[in-house]
Amino acid sequence: MARRTFKRARDGTLKVALYAQEAELLAMTARDMMTIVEEPPAGDVRDRLYPRAYLDPTEEKAQGEYEALVHDDLVHSRRAALEAIVDGLDTPPNSRGVIEIALRPDEEMQWLTAVNDARLVVGTALGVNEDVDTDYERDDPRFEYGVLYAWLTQLHFELVTLLLDEIGDAGSDDIGDG
Amino acid sequence: MNPPDIQEITIPDTVEELLGGEDERLDVPWVVIVWNDPVNTFAYVIFVFQKLFGYSRAKASRLTNQVHFEGRAVVANGAREKCEADVARLHAYGLWATMQKDD
Repeated sequence: MARRTFKRARDGTLKVALYAQEAELLAMTARDMMTIVEEPPAGDVRDRLYPRAYLDPTEEKAQGEYEALVHDDLVHSRRAALEAIVDGLDTPPNSRGVIEIALRPDEEMQWLTAVNDARLVVGTALGVNEDVDTDYERDDPRFEYGVLYAWLTQLHFELVTLLLDEIGDAGSDDIGDG
Repeated sequence: MNPPDIQEITIPDTVEELLGGEDERLDVPWVVIVWNDPVNTFAYVIFVFQKLFGYSRAKASRLTNQVHFEGRAVVANGAREKCEADVARLHAYGLWATMQKDD
């Protein structure tokens, strides 16, 4: 991605420009993710997408209440974010083979969280950690997922960097109820 | 004046309920903890702390460093319900957050 994928337009929307092949990869990933956020495989991936709120085993009742209150909403918002990506990318490419779309503020957050959710799932499944990179050999069965993870990370980083620039430095320096 | 409708009177099932709800839910402070994980990037975690809690870049960066290098950081506190809402928002952003009583 030599050119910039995300750019703030003068009308306040966020312009996204992806080559048709990139858009296809992202839409395919988002479609695969729909099943995973609704029925994650038991184990690390599910624990990472839907962590416990309470680690304390004596808080099992509160944990149950938290799940009853929050889980379905979390699934729905994740599903909706993935749908926003798939629907948004369902646009014909221009003459240069680039798909250009404009995101509203709520859609920006959907892209931000959904791409990160995909990173969480792929990264967790690959067992990514700080000491292991995802540059697998071509004959390694993890090769394609390694490439996907690196690409999603790059895409996400570009979006986060832009949003961090915009949110600026100001804010509270206290942790508190405020 | 009519006598109170008997159906409107609810009788507490347990002593706990009679005493006003569940035990320690009174005023015990809780803390929200974010744990280190190998997937979320520094930049993203800083952004989430600024966006959700209104922290300055300096504060959000300090907390993110603490998460990364010490394995965890307290990022918010308050009553149980407020902390549950914070944990839910952090989970929606894909951060690994839990809550516990402030010891």
